[in-house]
Amino acid sequence: MRIGVFICHCGSNIAGTVDCAQVAQNAKAFPEVAFATDTMYTCSEPGQDEIVAAVKAHNLDGVVVASCTPRMHEPTFRRTVERAGLNRYMFEMANIREHVSWIGKDKEANTNKATELVRMAVEKLRRNAPLYTKKFDSVKKVLVIGGGVAGIQAALDCADAGIQVVMVERETSIGGKMAKLDKTFPTVDCSSCILGPKMVDVAQHPNITLLTASEVTNVSGYVGNFTVSIKRRATYVDWSKCTGCGLCTEKCPAKKTPDKFNEFMGPTTAINIPFPQAIPKKAAINPDYCRKLKEGKCGVCAKICPTGAINYEMQDEIITEQVGAIVAASGYDLMDWTVYGEYGGGRYPDVITSLQYERLLSAAGPTGGHILRPSDGKEPKSVVFIQCVGSRDRSIGRPYCSGFCCMYTAKQAVLTKDHIPDSQSYVFYMDIRAPGKMYDEFTRRAIEEYGTEYIRGRVSCIQPNGRGQYVVRGVDTLMGKPVEVLADLVVLAVGVEGAKGAGKLAETLHISYDHYGFFMESHCKLRPVETNTAGVFLAGACQGAKDIPSSVAQGSGAAAKVIGLLSKPQLESDPQISVVDIKRCVGCGKCVDVCPFQAITKQSIRGEVKAQVIEAVCQGCGLCVATCPQGAIQLSHFTDNQLLAEVNALCQC
Amino acid sequence: MTICFLATEGLVPWLAKLAQNHRVLAPRREGKAVIFRPWKEGDAAPVPLKATVSPKGAMFPSCETLVSYKTTKNPEQLDKVSLTLKAPVKAEPTVLFGCRSCDARGFVALDKAYLDGKFKDPYYEARRKATTIVTLTCDNPTPTCFCTWVNGGPASPEGSDVLMTAVNGGYVLEGISQKGKDLLAGSGLPDGADKLDEARAARTEAAKRVTPRKDLSKAPERLKARFTDMDFWVSQTAKCLSCGACTFMCPTCQCFNITDEGDPASEQGGQRLRSWDYCMSPMFTREASGHNPRMAKAARMRNRVSHKYWYSTEYSSDGRFSCTGCGRCIAQCPVSLDIREIVVKAIEE
Amino acid sequence: MSVLTGKELRIVGFLCNWCSYGGADTAGVARATQPTDLRIIRVPCSGRVNPLFPLKALLSGADGVLVSGCHPRDCHYSAGNFYARRRLELLKEFLPIIGINPDRFEYTWVSASEGQRWQQVVTAFTDRIHKLGPAPRFKDAEPIYDLPGALTGLVRPLDCGGNPALDELKQQIREALADGHLHCVVGWQQGYDAIHATPLHMRKPEDVDRLIWGPFNIHSTANMITQLIKEAQDAAMVGVKRGDPIPPAKKVGVVVKGCDSKGLVELLQEKLIERDAVEIFAMGCNGTVSTDRILAKIGGAARVSAVSGKGDTLTVTTADGVEHALSMADIAQDKCRACKMPSAKVYDHFAGEPVTVAEDATPEPAAIMAYLDSLTLDQRMGFWKGQMERCIRCHACRNACPMCVCREVCVADSREPHWVTQDDTVTNKFFFQLIHALHLAGRCTGCGECNRACPVGIPVGALKMQTSRIVQRLFDGYQPGTDADAVPPFLGYEVEEKNIPEHHIERA
Repeated sequence: MRIGVFICHCGSNIAGTVDCAQVAQNAKAFPEVAFATDTMYTCSEPGQDEIVAAVKAHNLDGVVVASCTPRMHEPTFRRTVERAGLNRYMFEMANIREHVSWIGKDKEANTNKATELVRMAVEKLRRNAPLYTKKFDSVKKVLVIGGGVAGIQAALDCADAGIQVVMVERETSIGGKMAKLDKTFPTVDCSSCILGPKMVDVAQHPNITLLTASEVTNVSGYVGNFTVSIKRRATYVDWSKCTGCGLCTEKCPAKKTPDKFNEFMGPTTAINIPFPQAIPKKAAINPDYCRKLKEGKCGVCAKICPTGAINYEMQDEIITEQVGAIVAASGYDLMDWTVYGEYGGGRYPDVITSLQYERLLSAAGPTGGHILRPSDGKEPKSVVFIQCVGSRDRSIGRPYCSGFCCMYTAKQAVLTKDHIPDSQSYVFYMDIRAPGKMYDEFTRRAIEEYGTEYIRGRVSCIQPNGRGQYVVRGVDTLMGKPVEVLADLVVLAVGVEGAKGAGKLAETLHISYDHYGFFMESHCKLRPVETNTAGVFLAGACQGAKDIPSSVAQGSGAAAKVIGLLSKPQLESDPQISVVDIKRCVGCGKCVDVCPFQAITKQSIRGEVKAQVIEAVCQGCGLCVATCPQGAIQLSHFTDNQLLAEVNALCQC
Repeated sequence: MTICFLATEGLVPWLAKLAQNHRVLAPRREGKAVIFRPWKEGDAAPVPLKATVSPKGAMFPSCETLVSYKTTKNPEQLDKVSLTLKAPVKAEPTVLFGCRSCDARGFVALDKAYLDGKFKDPYYEARRKATTIVTLTCDNPTPTCFCTWVNGGPASPEGSDVLMTAVNGGYVLEGISQKGKDLLAGSGLPDGADKLDEARAARTEAAKRVTPRKDLSKAPERLKARFTDMDFWVSQTAKCLSCGACTFMCPTCQCFNITDEGDPASEQGGQRLRSWDYCMSPMFTREASGHNPRMAKAARMRNRVSHKYWYSTEYSSDGRFSCTGCGRCIAQCPVSLDIREIVVKAIEE
Repeated sequence: MSVLTGKELRIVGFLCNWCSYGGADTAGVARATQPTDLRIIRVPCSGRVNPLFPLKALLSGADGVLVSGCHPRDCHYSAGNFYARRRLELLKEFLPIIGINPDRFEYTWVSASEGQRWQQVVTAFTDRIHKLGPAPRFKDAEPIYDLPGALTGLVRPLDCGGNPALDELKQQIREALADGHLHCVVGWQQGYDAIHATPLHMRKPEDVDRLIWGPFNIHSTANMITQLIKEAQDAAMVGVKRGDPIPPAKKVGVVVKGCDSKGLVELLQEKLIERDAVEIFAMGCNGTVSTDRILAKIGGAARVSAVSGKGDTLTVTTADGVEHALSMADIAQDKCRACKMPSAKVYDHFAGEPVTVAEDATPEPAAIMAYLDSLTLDQRMGFWKGQMERCIRCHACRNACPMCVCREVCVADSREPHWVTQDDTVTNKFFFQLIHALHLAGRCTGCGECNRACPVGIPVGALKMQTSRIVQRLFDGYQPGTDADAVPPFLGYEVEEKNIPEHHIERA
C-alpha cells in the first residue's frame, strides 16, 4: 500500500497543544506511509484539494487524516478520497482534537499520543479493503403505528405525496389523546373542530388503509422491505355492514361497562361507539362486558341492528403487510399517579387527572360539558390544580418535565372560569414552563384576566374535611409559609410516559427506548425523527412529551423522511456489514441466535449448514463477530484483524 | 579411554562441569510429565525416566525462526525501502543427557529427512553436529514400549554418542561415537571397563522386560496391499480425535509448517517460522484451493502408519522403519489408540 | 510503540461509536481535561468487543483496558451492550485466575451526552492504573512448575465393582443394532491393558460383546457425536444423485455416563445436534479412575496382569504378582469426585437403576481451584507460565473437548482472524488456552477431558472451572448441559441482570 497521512492543525485547535509537524514527521517512519504532511485546515476546500493532489502525485491508495472526530468529518473526507479516485473506505481518521488537543495541555504527551493514534489508524488502514454499496428495491408503502394527531399528520403527508399508507390504531377509533381534549391552548379553539376534518381525511384518502382495533405483532425485514404482521381484534361487528347508527348502543342492557374513552368518568354500554366523531364511526363490542359473549344470553344488539352487522362468532385476524418504512406514533399515557399516597392514592373521588377533567369539560363527555363533581354531581366552586404530579420528581424516579402540563392547566383554569363564572381556581406549580409561541401570554391571561391564583410550591397532602370538601395543604415558597386551600375538586397534572406497551413495540421494531417507554431518536438534535433502525421513524409523543404543534411538526417531519426515502428509485446498503467465510463457518447458528436484527439466516450449501447475512438487514453492530468462536463471520471495516492491528500497534511486549 | 565409571554421587558434579561450556538438556519431572529442560548447576539430578515428550526438540525445535527480516525506509524517499534478512543458525554446544535408546534412534530416523541426499537442512545439521547424546540404558520399559519390534532395544547404541548404563553404585559410560569418546576423554572420570559385564547383564535384563516381540518385517508389503482397503482404515481410526499428541511426542515425526509472522515494517520485524505440524490434522494437507486430499481421518491415519512402516523403508537407504518403538503415541493418546495393533492387524489378515 | 517513560502507562480503550466515543468527543468539545494515557479504539458497538481483545491487550503489554458502551436499553443496536455486559463481566472476573488484577480491566456505560462523566471515568480509571503501577508481564513471571498433590474429597462413595445391569444394556444395544436404524453405537472396550479402556464403535450385534462398563470408561462419548452424525449423513448420501431427495440418515447410538449426557444435552442446547439424530443408552455411573493416579501408585512401568473391583477398592495385580489394593478415594478422576449427576437425565434406554446423589450433598471445591485461590496474583501468573512452558500445542485438549466443534477451522490455526501466531512463546501458547476457556464459558460441562487428554498434564481445565464458577454465580447456579431447552448464558441476556452490578468507575 501507499498511504498518505495528513495532520490537521485545525488552526490552533490542534496545533496549540500538538506539534503537528512532528507528528507528520513521525508518521513518515510508519509502514507503507509514502507521504505525510501537516495542513492548516484539512477539511477546508484547499485542505481537501491537497489530499486529492497528493493522492494523484504520490499514487496513494489509502489516506489517513488526523484531525477532529470521525463523527464530524468522516463523511467529508470519504467524499474527498472518492473524488481523488479511491474507494471511500480506503480512509481512516485519527481523532487528535476531541481526544487529544482539547483535553490536555502537555505538548510532549499530546504529540506522542497523536503519533500513536496516527500509527493505529495507519495499521488499521493497511488492512482495509475497498467496500461497495449495493442497490435494492423498496416497497413504496409506509406503516403508521398510532392514529393520534402525529400519526394522522404523517399519514396524510405521505398519502398526499402518493405513498400508500397503512395506519394501525389500537383503539376502535383514531384521534388519540387529542380527540379527548375539549379545547386546545393557547387559542382555546375546539379540539374536535380542528382534528375532526383531519380524521375524516384519513378515512377518505384513497392512499390510506385504516386498520383500527389493531396492533402490530411482528416486524421482520429491513429498510425498504419490512414484513409486518398486524393483529386485528375481533369487534363482533361486521364493519362493512355497520352504519354507525348507534341503535345498538341505545338498547344494549350492559350499561355499566367502563368507558375508556371518557377516562372512566362514567359508564357506557358493552357495544358502543366511543364518541360521536369517531373514525371509523363503527360500533364494537367489549367482550368483557357483553352478556351474550360472557353468558350466552341477550343478543339484543343482533336483533335490533338494521343491517345485521352483529357477529358474535368473529375471531381475531392476522393481516400481513409489506412496507418500505415505518412511522411509530404510538403516543403517550399518563403515569400511574396513585403512587402519591399524599394525594389520596386514588381513593378520593374528587381528585382526578387532567385528562379526566378534559372529559368533564367536553360537550361530548359524560356530563355533557358541565363540570360536575364525580362524588355528588355538584358544580365545584373551588378547583385546585396541582402541577408536576409525576414530573420533575426524582423521589419517584421521574426526573423529566412532561412539557405541556403548565399550558393545559392554564387552559383548564380558563375554561373552569368560563363554565362556572363564580368559581375560583388555584394552581400549585413549581415553575411555569411556557416557551412556545403565545404560551406565556396565555398563562398571563389565566392569571390576570381569569383570576387564577398561582401558588408556587408543592402540595404536601390532600385530606377530605368530612364536609364534602378537601383540604389541600402546601407551601407557598414565594411567601415562605404554609398554605391551605379548601377545594371542591382537585385536578392533577399527571406526568406522561410512553404509551402502555411501548417497550414491547420498540422491541418489535428493534428500536431503543428509555426507562420511561419513550423511543430513542437517532440524534437528539440532528436526527430527531430517525431511529437507529434504518427505515423506522418517530412522530409525536412516543419520542418524548410533546404538545400538539410539536407532534404535528414531527409527524410532517417523519413523513418528509419517509417520502425522501421511498422516492429514491432504489436504496443503497451500507457495506460495513458482516460477511461469512463459508469455508470457516460450521453452521452452529450462534450468530443467528444473537443477531438483534434477524439479519443472519441459516442456508444449506451442498448439504452443509452455513450462516448467511442478509446484506440489507445487517446494521453492522458486529455482535455476531464477537460471538463466532472461529471468527468465520467478520464485520467489514471492523474485522478482528483490523482491531487486532490497532491493539498490536499499542501493545507489543 | 572410552569406558568410564560415574559414581551416583558424581553425576551432578559431572553435569555441572559439562554445563560450564554446554547447554545441558536433561529430563525433569513437571507434574505428571517428564520434560527435557536446560539443566544448570544447582538443579537436582535428572530423573532416570523416559521423557513424556521425546527430546527431538533439541535438534528440531517445536518452533524456530528460519529467517528474520525487516524493512527500513529511506527518510528522504519514503517509497525506497531496503530489506534486511537474517538467517540465524543457532547451535550452541549441547549435551543431551539421559535420553533413551528409542530417543537416540529417533535422530537417526530424522537424519534421513534432514541430512540425507542433496539438500541438507542447515539448522538441523548445525544442532546435530553441536549436540552430544548421552543415552541412559532403559531399565524400566513400560507396557507401551516396543523398541525390540522395530530392531531396537533398551540399550541399542544406535544414534547415541555415549551409552550410559546403571550399575551398582553408579553408571558405566561407553563412548559410542567419536564425539562421545571425546566427551568422555575430557571428563576426567575413572575407567569403568571392569563394570562392563555388569552393565551388559543389566541391558539383557531390561530387554527381557519389553513387551514380547512381534515380527513386523512384513509390514511394508502388507501395508501396501492394504492401501486401498478403506474399510480397514476406517475401522481402525474410528476413535481417533485427530489431535497432534502422537506426532508431537514422536521421536521420528519430522513434519513442519512454515509461516510468516510479525510485520517486516514494524520495530520487531517479521519472522519466518518453522513449527511442528501434524499429519493427523485435517489442516495438514489442505491446499490453497481448499481441496484436501486427506479430508478423512482414515486417510490421515493410513498415511501416518504407512509412512512409519512402509514409505520410510523405501526412501531410507537402510530400509529402516520411521518408528523406534518408544510407545509414546500409545501411552499419551487420549483414546489409547494403539499403533501396534493397527500394524499387527494389517499384517495378520 | 512504547509509552512515554515515567509519565504514562499503557491504557487501551474500546469505545462504541454511538455513545461512548461520542461522550469522549463531548468531553473534548467541553475542553474537559483528562490524563493522556488512554488510547481509544473505535468500535461500532460494545457488543463487537470480543473479550479476547482486552485480554490480548492485557497479555501483550497493556497496563489497563477500558471498554465503554451505551447505557443498557440505549444501545444503538438494541441489545449489543446487553450481550457485552455478560461477556465483559465474565472477563473481569476471569482475570484473577491467570494472575491479572481485575482492577486493570473495567467496563462502563457512558452516553454521547455525558462528556463530564467521561472525563470522570477516564480520570478515575487512569488514576487507578497509576496506583497499580505497570502491569507485571507474563514473560517476567517466576515460573512454578509443580502441581499440587492434594485431592478433592468425594461427594459420594464411589464403587469400582461394575454395574450388574451391563447385560441388560448390551441386550438393548444388540436389539437396536439388529433393527438396523443405527449407524453405530459408541461405548468402551478394554484397551491395550486392563487399566486402559478405549472407545468402542459397535456396528454389528456381535461387537457388543466387547462393551465394558466400569471405572475405566473414562473417555467422553459425547465428544465423538457430531463427527459420527456427519458420517451417518454422508453414508446416507452414498449413491444419491443431485436433485434426488435427501434420504434420512441413520441415528447414532451413544452409551453415556451422566457426564457424557451433559455434553450431549449442551450440544442439543446449542442446536449443534438434533435430538432424533441420536439414540442414547444410559446407565448409572459409580465413578471412573485416573489412569495417571493408578500408574503413580503401581509404578509407571508396571505391567498389569489383572484388575478387579469391589466396592471402593480396585485391586490391580501386576506381572510381578503384586496385588495393589487401591481406594477409589485415591485414584478417582477429579470430575467424579464432585459429580452430582452420575446418571443421564435425557436418554432413550436406561439399563438398571439410576445412580443418584443426595440432593443436599455439597461437593468440595476442586483441589486445583483451592490451590490457585491460595496463590498471589503474581504466583498465579508464574504458575501458568511454568505449566504452559511444556505445552507442545498438540491440541489434544481441544480435540478431546465435546464442546469444541470448530476443530479444523479453529482460530488456533487461522490467519483470518489471526488471534494466535505459530510462534511458540509461552504467552502465545497460553493465549490459545484462554481462547478455549472463554469459548467454553457457559458451555463447559466439566467433563475434564481437556485435562485428561493433555499428554504433559497441564491443568488447563482449571481455566474452564474458573469460567464455570463465574457462570454459576452470575446466573444463579446455571449448569450447562442439564436442560436441553435452556439458552446458554452468553447467547442471551436479561435487561436487568440480577447479579451483575453496574460498575461506577468514576465514583472510585
